[in-house]
Amino acid sequence: MSEDMNLSVNGQSQVPPGFRFHPTEEELLHYYLRKKVASETIDLNVIRDVDLNKLEPWDIQEKCKIGSTPQNDWYFFSHKDKKYPTGTRTNRATAAGFWKATGRDKVICSSCKRIGMRKTLVFYMGRAPHGQKSDWIMHEYRLDESNTHNTSASNAVGDTSPEDGWVVCRVFRKKNYQKSLESPKSSSTSIDSRTQMLNSSNNDGVLDQILLYMGRSCKQEIETIGNINISNNDENMRFLTPNNTSIVEGLHERFMHLPRLESPTLPSLAPHNSGSPFDQDRSLKACYQSIDDMFRETEPSSTNQVSGCNTSPDGPKAGLNDWAALDRLVASQLNGQVDTSKQLSCFSDPNMGFCLSPDDNDVQLSHLRSHRPNQTSQQVYNSEIDLWSFTRSSSSSSTDPLSHLSV
Amino acid sequence: MGDGSVNLPPGFQFHPTDEELVVHFLYCKASLLPCHPDVIPDLDLHLQDPWQLNGKALSSGNQWYFFSRVTENRVTKNGYWKKLDNIDEPIFTSASTKVGIKKYLVFCIGEAPAGIETNWLMEEYHLSSRGLLSNTSYKRRRNPKLDSSQWVLCRVHERKGDSRQGLCYDDDDDGTELSCLDEMFLSLDDDYDEISLPN
Repeated sequence: MSEDMNLSVNGQSQVPPGFRFHPTEEELLHYYLRKKVASETIDLNVIRDVDLNKLEPWDIQEKCKIGSTPQNDWYFFSHKDKKYPTGTRTNRATAAGFWKATGRDKVICSSCKRIGMRKTLVFYMGRAPHGQKSDWIMHEYRLDESNTHNTSASNAVGDTSPEDGWVVCRVFRKKNYQKSLESPKSSSTSIDSRTQMLNSSNNDGVLDQILLYMGRSCKQEIETIGNINISNNDENMRFLTPNNTSIVEGLHERFMHLPRLESPTLPSLAPHNSGSPFDQDRSLKACYQSIDDMFRETEPSSTNQVSGCNTSPDGPKAGLNDWAALDRLVASQLNGQVDTSKQLSCFSDPNMGFCLSPDDNDVQLSHLRSHRPNQTSQQVYNSEIDLWSFTRSSSSSSTDPLSHLSV
Repeated sequence: MGDGSVNLPPGFQFHPTDEELVVHFLYCKASLLPCHPDVIPDLDLHLQDPWQLNGKALSSGNQWYFFSRVTENRVTKNGYWKKLDNIDEPIFTSASTKVGIKKYLVFCIGEAPAGIETNWLMEEYHLSSRGLLSNTSYKRRRNPKLDSSQWVLCRVHERKGDSRQGLCYDDDDDGTELSCLDEMFLSLDDDYDEISLPN
């Protein structure tokens, strides 16, 4: 049977009228890509293999047709074995143009477990760096390595790709209304699309955007914490368990708080956009590290101040506002404001979110310290320590502690 | 009922076009032809309040599909379907043949005409026999003794939230919409200076 016949028998489509292939992200990863990687057969062979370098987006429509119902999106498997000679980045150029990654990768979860990542790419006509952006968008899904191999070392880092190199892709054309975002002058339509975006259940919160801009976001770290706590598969992380609920709740609360805050303007963020997601992650790590180092230099002993948290009982709800406070801090930093003492003061608030439980903060802090060198969840630790560092600095320093940050 | 008779791998949804609903499903029903896939059940409109459709009508996404006998009196146990003022919308094939019309209705609780409108909406598909019969390919393939007056195909959904969505039947397209974040990055790729985050 020829490849083109895989969806039909004797010219009759196997997909009955009215049925459209529109898998969820979970189905794409869990069912289709996992079977592909495991070389299992897939019913009807609905998703075919495509050499991305040989296929222009406008040809995908014909090549990846499924059934008779009109489609708005098309699917294919692609193997990421094409690398540029000088590096590890995937070569996604075609004869007419190239696919360029945009934004940062999104974590795909299934029942609270991380199963893979999604990269968003845009097709540009021509050759970099002078390509012309088209409205063809590709979502490239890859399985999480930690999903297939249960080793802990790479769990916290989301940028490893599975050894196998298979990805499953969804290609579609950007819808028209989204253009309104690109022309801020048409204010009424952009309000519409903003509302749409904010209302859409699938979308990242506005705060999330800001945080994501900084590279490895708090959200992701929190997700990591949450996952580890839920699965409880990491002995070193057990101490976080009492705080689990408040962190997770805090996530939602955070989104609700952010839009009301002063909105930072994006131009100051722009430099971060230039790098690939990998670069962003790296640079953010560096940021965390440098903040961390600086605070340790200036404030070598600080357990006393932190233990102030003991004085007040804090319920699980206490964490919510403090996430907003952190957001405010991040936002103000992004906005270029120098006066951070006001924002920072909230971190000495006895109710702050990272007070784990009234009784054993000191113990937990020392946990943090002692486990710090442990690589397993380095990022989680780093971010936690950052928070503690803020607490310390708030009372000791009125200068901008982040002034060296190049955001 | 449901889509038990269709054996498809994960990821397929019943998501027909208007044309498919009329030409494939309603036409077969009205002309007493076997319909494959036979997924849409017959229901008596009078016996079903819309919230009772679950498990009886074919459910896909947030839509329910069923065939019903044509009736002008669409009274149910707890209310009635009221025709909206829209002009009946013609349905054309890709070859621009008019094959049917659809009517828009809203479910009202209580007795006409004083019932209270709900968020339950219906599209009622009618066959336009003249259109189909004038089409030679259908004439050749199908039974010309078409009883188009007997059956309608009903598609019901409950409108969520505000009225902005109106009669929009697109489900929440998982993944084919760009996330807010993606949008922002896409815009930023163009020019960094013209964009600002919403307040």
